[in-house]
Amino acid sequence: MKKSLGVFFSLLMVVAFATDSLAGALDIFTGEKGEVRIAGGTAHIPVMKEAAIRIMRHNPDIHISVGGGGSGAGIKQVGEGLIDIGNSGRKANEDEISRYGLQMFKWAIDGVAIVVNPVNKVRSLSQEQVAAIYAGTITNWQEVGGEDRKINIYTRDEASGTRAVFWKKALAKGNVAKNANFVVSNGAMKAAVSQDSYAIGYVSIGHMNDSLAGVAFNSIEPTLANVQSGKYPIARGLYSNTKGEPIGLVKKVIDYLFTAEGQEIVVQKGFISVK
Amino acid sequence: MRFRRLLEQAVPLLSLMSSIILLAAITTVLGFLFLKGWQSLNFQLLFGTTPPLDAILFKRRVFDCLFPAMVGTFSLVCLAVCWAIPVGIAAGIYLAEYAQGKIRIFFNLIFDVLAGLPSIVVGLFGFSITIFLNKQLSNQIYPCLLISSIALAFLVLPYIIRATQASLEGQPESLRLTALALGASKMQNIVRVLLPQSLPGITSGVILATGRCAEDTAVIMLTGAVATAGVPRSLFSSFEALPFYIYYISSQYADQEELATGYGAAIILLFICLMLFSLAFVIKKRVRLSAQYRAH
Amino acid sequence: MRRTTEQIIEKICFFSALISGFITCSIFLFLLIPGLPLFRGGHFFSILTGPWEPGLGQFGIYPMISGTLAVTMLTMLFAFPLSLGCATLISMEGNFRLSRLLRKIVEMMTGVPTVIYGFVGIFLLVPLVRNFFVNGGSGMCILSAALMLTLLASPTMILLFCDSFSRVPHSYGDAVLAVGGTEVQKFLYVTLPCSWPGILMGFTLALGRVLGDTLVALMIAGNAVQVPGSLFDSVRTLTSHIALVFAADYNSPEFQAIFACAIFLYFFSTLLAVSVRLIHSRWRINT
Repeated sequence: MKKSLGVFFSLLMVVAFATDSLAGALDIFTGEKGEVRIAGGTAHIPVMKEAAIRIMRHNPDIHISVGGGGSGAGIKQVGEGLIDIGNSGRKANEDEISRYGLQMFKWAIDGVAIVVNPVNKVRSLSQEQVAAIYAGTITNWQEVGGEDRKINIYTRDEASGTRAVFWKKALAKGNVAKNANFVVSNGAMKAAVSQDSYAIGYVSIGHMNDSLAGVAFNSIEPTLANVQSGKYPIARGLYSNTKGEPIGLVKKVIDYLFTAEGQEIVVQKGFISVK
Repeated sequence: MRFRRLLEQAVPLLSLMSSIILLAAITTVLGFLFLKGWQSLNFQLLFGTTPPLDAILFKRRVFDCLFPAMVGTFSLVCLAVCWAIPVGIAAGIYLAEYAQGKIRIFFNLIFDVLAGLPSIVVGLFGFSITIFLNKQLSNQIYPCLLISSIALAFLVLPYIIRATQASLEGQPESLRLTALALGASKMQNIVRVLLPQSLPGITSGVILATGRCAEDTAVIMLTGAVATAGVPRSLFSSFEALPFYIYYISSQYADQEELATGYGAAIILLFICLMLFSLAFVIKKRVRLSAQYRAH
Repeated sequence: MRRTTEQIIEKICFFSALISGFITCSIFLFLLIPGLPLFRGGHFFSILTGPWEPGLGQFGIYPMISGTLAVTMLTMLFAFPLSLGCATLISMEGNFRLSRLLRKIVEMMTGVPTVIYGFVGIFLLVPLVRNFFVNGGSGMCILSAALMLTLLASPTMILLFCDSFSRVPHSYGDAVLAVGGTEVQKFLYVTLPCSWPGILMGFTLALGRVLGDTLVALMIAGNAVQVPGSLFDSVRTLTSHIALVFAADYNSPEFQAIFACAIFLYFFSTLLAVSVRLIHSRWRINT
C-alpha cells in the first residue's frame, strides 16, 4: 500500500508542479519530503491546520498532522520526542526548557477573553467579580446584573495554556470552584458557551465570533486592538516549541509561519501578527 | 393475594411501557440525527472540492472533508482485523479442540478478562507501550496507525476467539465422530470437517469484530488519531478516523457548517456499523451475546 | 510426517492461545510499571481516597471513583427494569409479530456506535435537561450521561435476558398452563425464578460495560472534579479522567495517577469477569 501510494504521489508531483502556479513562501518546501507531527495548544489549531493544508497542497510528499492536547501536552510531548513541534499558549517554564532543551518560537499574539452566551446581558465584569464567580462565591447572574439564574462555570484542564494565562492574569491565581465543567480545548469552550445561555468561560480571542459575547474585563473590551495596544491585560503569545534547534523540514515549517504568507494566516484566523 | 393479582395485571402493562419507552428513545435519537444530518450528505462532504475519482485513486490530496477519515478508518479496521484473525482463530481452535482441564479453565478466564477490559484501558496500554518503545528505539516510534491497529486487534481478539470456540463446540457430536470413524486424523477432522461447518459462526464473529474496530474511539484517541492528517501515507503516520472526527467536531466545531459535517460523519458511521451488525446477525442467527459486552 | 505436521499445527494453536493470554497479562504489566512509583511510595491507597488538587500537589482519584459509581448506579437503575420489561414482552407468547419486531430493533441497537450516543447527547439531551429542569445547570450532568448510557446498555442486556428465559425447559411452563395458569403466571412464577442466574449474568456484564464506557461520560457528564451531591452535578468518570489527562508529563504524579485509574478499572472488570464465569458455571450445573 505504501509503495503504490508512493507511485501515485510521485506521479502527482509532476501534475502538481505543472498546475501549481502559486509561487512564493511555499517554494522552500519544493523537493522536500517527510513527516511533521504537530500537537499541543488548541488555540493554535486553526492556523496550524491552514498552514499544514497549504504546505501539503503545494507538496504532497510532505505529511503534516495536527493534533490538540493542550499546551502542557505540547511541551511534554515535544520534550519526550513523541512529536516534532509542540505548540503552547504559554511560555515554557525554566524547568521545562532546561530539562528538554526547548527552543521557543513566538509567532502570534493572542488574548484570552472572558465570554458569555449572547443571550446573557452581562457585558462587563471587574477582576474581583470574575475571581468571585470562578471561586464559586458568586453563583447567580443576578449578583452581577444579569438574570436570576445559576452561573454555569466552564474551565479548561490543567494542560491548557489558556487556563494558565487566565488563572494568572484574571483570577490572580485564585481558586476555581469544584463544580466547574471541564472542556478540552478552545474550540470546545466556544461550542459549550455558545450552547449554554447561563455559561461563563474564557477563550482565545482568535476563536471569538458572534456565537459568543465578550465580556469587558475591568471595563476594557477584549478586542484585538486593545490587546495590541497593551490595554487589555489578559494577553499572551502563541508559541511553537522544538526540542533543540529545529532542522530540515521542521525548521522550514516554522520558518513558513514567520513569512508574510504565514503571518497573513495568523491575522486571517484572528490573531495578532508578531511582525 | 390481592398483591399477586395486581402484580399479574401490572406485568404486561409494565413490559409494554418499557418497550415503548425504549423504542421512543431510540427513534428520537436516530430520528434527530437523520433530520439534522441528511442535508449534509453529499459528495462535497465526502471529497471536498476534489473530484471524487481523483481522491479515490489518491491522485490528489484532499482536505476539509471526510475522505481522509474514511480511508483512515478503513485502513485501521483492515489492519486490526488482519492481526486479530490468525491469532484469534488459532487460539479458538486450541480452546475448543485441544485444551483440557485446568489449562482450559485458565484460558477461558483469561479471555473473559481480556473481553471485559474497558477500551480506554487497552488504549492506555497502547500509549504506554508507545512511550516505552519510543524511549528504547531513540524516538523512532510515535503514536501511529500501526500502534492503533495493534491495540485495536487486542481489543477484538476475544470476539474472534469466542466466536471460533463457540461454533466449533456447537458442532453436533455425530459430525465430530464421522470423519474420525473413517480414519481421519484429528487435524484432518478439524480442517476438513469442523472448520468449514463452523464458518458461519466464525465469519459473524469476524464481522462483529470489524464493527467494533470501526466504532471504537477510546483506543485510537490515545494511540494516534488526530484532527488533521490527510490520508495516511504509511503504517507510521498519524491518521484521521470517523469516530474520532465525530468526537472532535462535537466539542470543537467552529461554525454550523463544520457541525453539519459532524452530523454527516455520524450518519455514515452509523450506517456502516448497522450494516455490519445486521450482516453478522443474518449469517448467524444467534451471535454469542456476552462477546458484545465490551465497554467502550 | 503427518504426525509432525499435526504436532506443529497443534503447537501453533497453543502458542496463539498463549500469546493472547500473554497480551492480557502484559496489559496489566504495562499499566503497573508506570504506576509503580505510587506503590513504592505507599501512596496507592491514599490516591484512591484523596482529592484531586494538582495545584496543591494532591492527585487522589476519589472524586472520579465516586463519579463513576454515581453514573453507573443510576444507569443500572434505569436500564435494568427497562431491559427486564422489554425482555418480558419479547419472550411472552401472544403478540408474536410485535415481539419479533421489537427483537429485531433491539438487535439493531447493539450496533449503534457509542460516539453517536454521545453526539446526540450533546445536541439533543443536554439542552433538554438544561431547559427542562430549573436546577439543571449546564445540562452536562450525571442524569444526562445515565440516560444515554441506558440506551447503550439495554439492548445486550435485553437479548441476554431473552436468552436465559428461553433456556427454561418448556415442560415447566407447560405444567403451569396445564393446571389452568395464565401466560403471565407462567412467566412470573416459573420462567422468571428459573432464569435468575442468566439475569444476574446479564446485569453483571452490563455493569462492566457501563463502568468502562468512556465516550458518553466524556462528552456529556461535564467532567468537573467533584464528589457528586445531586443528579444535576457535573462529574468526571475514571475513564474520562484517563482520556483527559493522558498527555501529561511522564514523570509527574498526574500521569501516574491515571495509571491508578486504569489499574482500578482493570481490577474491577476482572472481578466482574470472574463473577460472570462463576455464575455461568453454576448455571450449567443447575440446568
